[in-house]
Amino acid sequence: MNDEKEKKLLSLLEVRRPEAFWNRQRGGILAAAAAPRHRAAWMLVPAAAAAALLLMFLGRPKAPAPLPGPQTVSVSFLENLDMLDDMDVLEAVPESEL
Amino acid sequence: MEKDGKPGEEASAGGGPENAFALVVEEHQRVVYAVALRLTGNAAAAEDITQETFLAAWKHLKGFRGESSLKTWLLRIAANKCRSYWRWRKLRSWVGLDERDKDGDGPAIGEILPDDPAGRPEQAAQAADLERRVQAAIAALPPRQREVAVLRAQELSVAEIAAALGMAEGTVKAHWFEARKKLAGSLGEYL
Repeated sequence: MNDEKEKKLLSLLEVRRPEAFWNRQRGGILAAAAAPRHRAAWMLVPAAAAAALLLMFLGRPKAPAPLPGPQTVSVSFLENLDMLDDMDVLEAVPESEL
Repeated sequence: MEKDGKPGEEASAGGGPENAFALVVEEHQRVVYAVALRLTGNAAAAEDITQETFLAAWKHLKGFRGESSLKTWLLRIAANKCRSYWRWRKLRSWVGLDERDKDGDGPAIGEILPDDPAGRPEQAAQAADLERRVQAAIAALPPRQREVAVLRAQELSVAEIAAALGMAEGTVKAHWFEARKKLAGSLGEYL
């Protein structure tokens, strides 16, 4: 493929939207940055996966030695699962920056 | 126009951090949205990903030391969120909540375009048809080739794509070679 064709191909892949769209989107982002966050369901996938692992862990066959007390999951622990969403960002940080 | 420095530097030039953030959004929102749309084929998800990418960057700005370009960092966050999106779609498909996934990953045109093409003029309908074909061609690529092609379309260099996707430059070149060949085959009539 020559350069001319490649340029055309890349141009086809561009996304074009009216200026009003970008203005609306920018306003939405800036407003969201100043307000409490409401996430789409799929963005909670990392937290959901961690919760599923936790349930599997808690539901595993009991060891012969009985545990000292009933296992409970505190609200603060569940809230901390939200931190797993930050993995998208942490994964994006080059190793040298960590 | 491209400013890839640290946003804090922009802030120090005038205005507070909120001002710097607004500048960052204005500078990079198009490229982040374009990548999200092309990688998901879903306009609503692309808007969510764009918003979440900037919010995550805003939240973690202190951790960004400016060693990589801001654009690369944002696109890496966005690409990771797109991967999360597909994991979620697969999970929904797996539990039977997303019937369309059984027939493939091709999005409905209403998901790609922000407006209803049926209510727009004839010219817009043609643009919608082209958009659908382009998106279908991209969706037909294997995931890694798709990511490379979409970032290449945003005028990123091979080195920047490698940094954004965590790949070797040679791998990026190989993926782009294959992706370009397949896209030229699918969209040949427009080239």
